[in-house]
Amino acid sequence: MSVKTEPSSDPFEAWRSMRDATMKAWADTMVQAVNTEAYAQATGTLLDSYLTATAPYREIVEKMMTQVLQLSNMPTRNDVIGLAERLTNLELRLDDLDAKLDGIIEQIRRENTDSRASRRAAEEGR
Amino acid sequence: MEETLRTLLRLHTTRAPIGQTPKDLIWTLNKAKLYRYTPVVSEESRHKVPLLLIFALMNRPTILDLRPGHSFVEYMVGKGYDVYLLDWGSPGIEDRNLKLDDYTLDYMPRAIRKMKAVAGCEEFSMLGWCIGAILTTIYAALRPDDGLRNLLLLTAPLDYSDKQSISFARWVDERYFDVDKVLQAFGNMPPELIEYGAKALKPVENYIGNYLRLWDNLENPAVVESWHAMNTWVNDNIPMAGATFRQLIVDLYRGNKLINNEMIIGGRRVDLSRIRANLLNVVALADHITPPCQSESIMMKVGSTDKELFRIPGGHIGIMAGSSAAKRTWPHIEAWLAARSD
Repeated sequence: MSVKTEPSSDPFEAWRSMRDATMKAWADTMVQAVNTEAYAQATGTLLDSYLTATAPYREIVEKMMTQVLQLSNMPTRNDVIGLAERLTNLELRLDDLDAKLDGIIEQIRRENTDSRASRRAAEEGR
Repeated sequence: MEETLRTLLRLHTTRAPIGQTPKDLIWTLNKAKLYRYTPVVSEESRHKVPLLLIFALMNRPTILDLRPGHSFVEYMVGKGYDVYLLDWGSPGIEDRNLKLDDYTLDYMPRAIRKMKAVAGCEEFSMLGWCIGAILTTIYAALRPDDGLRNLLLLTAPLDYSDKQSISFARWVDERYFDVDKVLQAFGNMPPELIEYGAKALKPVENYIGNYLRLWDNLENPAVVESWHAMNTWVNDNIPMAGATFRQLIVDLYRGNKLINNEMIIGGRRVDLSRIRANLLNVVALADHITPPCQSESIMMKVGSTDKELFRIPGGHIGIMAGSSAAKRTWPHIEAWLAARSD
């Protein structure tokens, strides 16, 4: 006995299936392409060229900005970086203090627990 | 049509609310923050051993807490775990000299010390995902006596010997990629380059297929909101500290030092046989970012006696944040941990 299937009500289904099949084929091709030595070399060359071409511009901008900021009596990028590094060092030392405090609190808590336990034992002994 | 356009505009101009599970900030250092998620199970019923989550350095850790109802953090908190998350934050130019040494021997021990003080427990479990797994592996090998009871590695990129199978290894080959030139120009590895690298592995899928999938499902609010959340996270990359990126490329991708016990961190050789914690190693079989060959060989290198390799169908992110994660990956992790957390 044959099974009759209802025709789909979506007029775009056939187009969508073709689209998905095309996309999959294209996706597989591109995955293979990006996994080749040629692609690695091409992207490496592109990045290297960009960095080489923009290096002089970056250097000029940095020098100019530093001069302008210094003349304006404003902090430069390096000044801000230096401050940030010192702040981090301060935070490290604060964290060390915090650790010592936690240790002291824990020590006190343990001693209180021990003395309460020995007092209870002494009272029970009597 | 108007509704469709409005939805598309909202999806592309707003951030989805992700990382919503309630938490408290309990420690900070520089940009790093340690959060404790608010327990929902009473202390008597909770697992004794706290769980620390550590994700990669160049993505936000909110992938672990994507959205209510689809969050690994929410799941584990609901199962009675005392869950902590170490958020590395976004490094600035002043952090360009931060190395793996700093993350594993300075930041992590300090965060763990605070977690132990808050949790009131000397032992802990630690889950590392992607580059987080590199950090947790190094930590576990260099500080095996710090109380680490359980180590969970997810899609861990530890072994770089099979360069043919690792796309990134080809791209960062020293013939093609001058890492020092990049870092001299930018200081840190820019998030735009990291994002391009990740998406270029599957360019058609990431730049076109992703949006076609949205278009096909615009009438389905569940799919739309899931897409919005994932897209928000995917496009929220952060820079990687320059010195750390250099170590990743030179010592790992090119030198493969970690798996061969040749990596030097803090002046000490990282010997993987010193890892003694119980180990669950989760490998994604369809992972194109960290293929399985990068994660499996650690099983023969560790000194742990209680260890399991769990291979699961799925991709690098999908096994933990995809639609079937709650049915497969999470229950397995939870069951494994439950037997080792009291």
